[in-house]
Amino acid sequence: MRSKALGAAALFLLPLLAFYGVYYLYAFGVLVDASRTRTSLSFTDATVVGWENFRLVITDELFLRAVLNNLLFAAVSIAAALTLGFFLAVSLASGVRLRRFFFTVFLLPSLIPLSLFATVFGRMLETDDGAVNALLGVVGIGPVDWLGSTGPSYAALFVLLVYLVGLPIMYYTSDLATTNTAVLESAMIDGAGSGHMYRLILFPMLRNTHKTVILSVLLGSFRAFDVVFFSTKGEPGGRTQITGTYIYNTMLGENRIGYASAAAVIVLVFALAISALQVLVTRRRAR
Amino acid sequence: MSTPLRALRQRRRDSVAVYGILLAGAALWLFPLVTAVRASIAHGGVANYWTVLTSTYNGVSLLGAFVNSLIVAALHAILVCGVGALAAYAFSKIRFPGRETLYHAVLIFLAVPGVAIIVPVYWITGQLALFNTHLGVALPEAALTLPFAVLMLRNYADGIPDELLEAARIDRAGHGQAFWHVFLPLCRPALINLGALSVMWSLQDFLFPSMILKRSDLSTAAQAVRTIESSFGPTPEQTSQYFAALVLLAVPVIVLVVGGLRFITQGITSGGVKE
Repeated sequence: MRSKALGAAALFLLPLLAFYGVYYLYAFGVLVDASRTRTSLSFTDATVVGWENFRLVITDELFLRAVLNNLLFAAVSIAAALTLGFFLAVSLASGVRLRRFFFTVFLLPSLIPLSLFATVFGRMLETDDGAVNALLGVVGIGPVDWLGSTGPSYAALFVLLVYLVGLPIMYYTSDLATTNTAVLESAMIDGAGSGHMYRLILFPMLRNTHKTVILSVLLGSFRAFDVVFFSTKGEPGGRTQITGTYIYNTMLGENRIGYASAAAVIVLVFALAISALQVLVTRRRAR
Repeated sequence: MSTPLRALRQRRRDSVAVYGILLAGAALWLFPLVTAVRASIAHGGVANYWTVLTSTYNGVSLLGAFVNSLIVAALHAILVCGVGALAAYAFSKIRFPGRETLYHAVLIFLAVPGVAIIVPVYWITGQLALFNTHLGVALPEAALTLPFAVLMLRNYADGIPDELLEAARIDRAGHGQAFWHVFLPLCRPALINLGALSVMWSLQDFLFPSMILKRSDLSTAAQAVRTIESSFGPTPEQTSQYFAALVLLAVPVIVLVVGGLRFITQGITSGGVKE
């Protein structure tokens, strides 16, 4: 009976396992092999260099910077989600007019291709004829060299990340619809102010949603390649790169596939470790 | 319908503040779109749209790019829904040894970033002779979406009573029959949500098309943003035309995602990494 179930399950799982086998297991093998060579994208004339690539990657200051940027950008996204995202979702759920319009507008940057959104955003930041400097010029600020110096280019990326607050708004909106918020009515009768209700009643009430939001933003931050690639392109001097753009850009160099693969292996180990930790934690709680 | 959340806007000044913030926010969020549209007609006027629509840039026509995007997105959605539904049936409705362990192992790959497997994907695509094919892009995209699909569809499938499927199987129908005639129809709402999400994610993808579709007539919309950029000079007219092209590339996507917004939000929130 058990072996019969196993056979049936194997049949149903076959397509999935084929995908995993090729694009994950076999792919990781290829990646690890490539990471120990010096080679180009044609994969011919590979020279085995052992663990040398790994040594070079982890001692490269720009790689370390990219890892730190990953964490920094994730932190910014999480902070924006828990404050702005939370506030906007609650406001939208409070029976405002034009709810659908506002909802769509706040979600739009997260839904269209980032290559489009970030490119327009990047063009808006151009020093001489960009829309942002034109706007700031009206109030007497400017012109700021957004992409040429470190501080402003970080600021520009932070703003771009705040624009992508749509996903958390979705989570909060969906959970608010199923949360019993009747307690607010008695709080109101007791004379509680709205700031009090936001911070001390609603925010703790949604703590499970906060966890969902933090996890999904964290996982998403590993995939934030397009955000940087299309706006600052990692400039100035590679200082705003994240691991994704670091791998992509090194790949374009001559015979740098082995090196890029070593960086990719390190990033994968990180991402899978966080993911495994999360699966373990949720699994234990489910019991 | 009244919600208790209305209490937040009971005082007049609270209500004014909420509307003020929402309106200011909406203005800021629409600013990039408005800027792009304004820049697109700043030099040359609305005629720019006709110009970019009827020209090719570095061998890319905007209409062609959009057709390519849709083909890849449709293939991706079909693969994800088909393979995901089969796997969800096994994980939810067949009791086999090691089921939960395998399920959690599958979920760990939720975090794999596309750019980290781009080197092996390049190699595999070459081995399978899939360069310059839509399927060559849809396959690795599906591999990245499948962990989410399995999570979401199993969550949904666990809510389908086993009795419904067992009734079908007592009539000597195998798992195949039960899957096709009972399980799939019951999963339809979840599959629609997943399909909408799969289309959106594929439309957003730049990385895989840019590596795999090297022939310019195969370029997708997200990829075209970059492919056509260098064919516009720095003159005011050409800059305006580039913005017109960006707006035209965005319009069909906006129409699609706004049209499917209900399914997209339901899909994302139901497959969330929930406790």
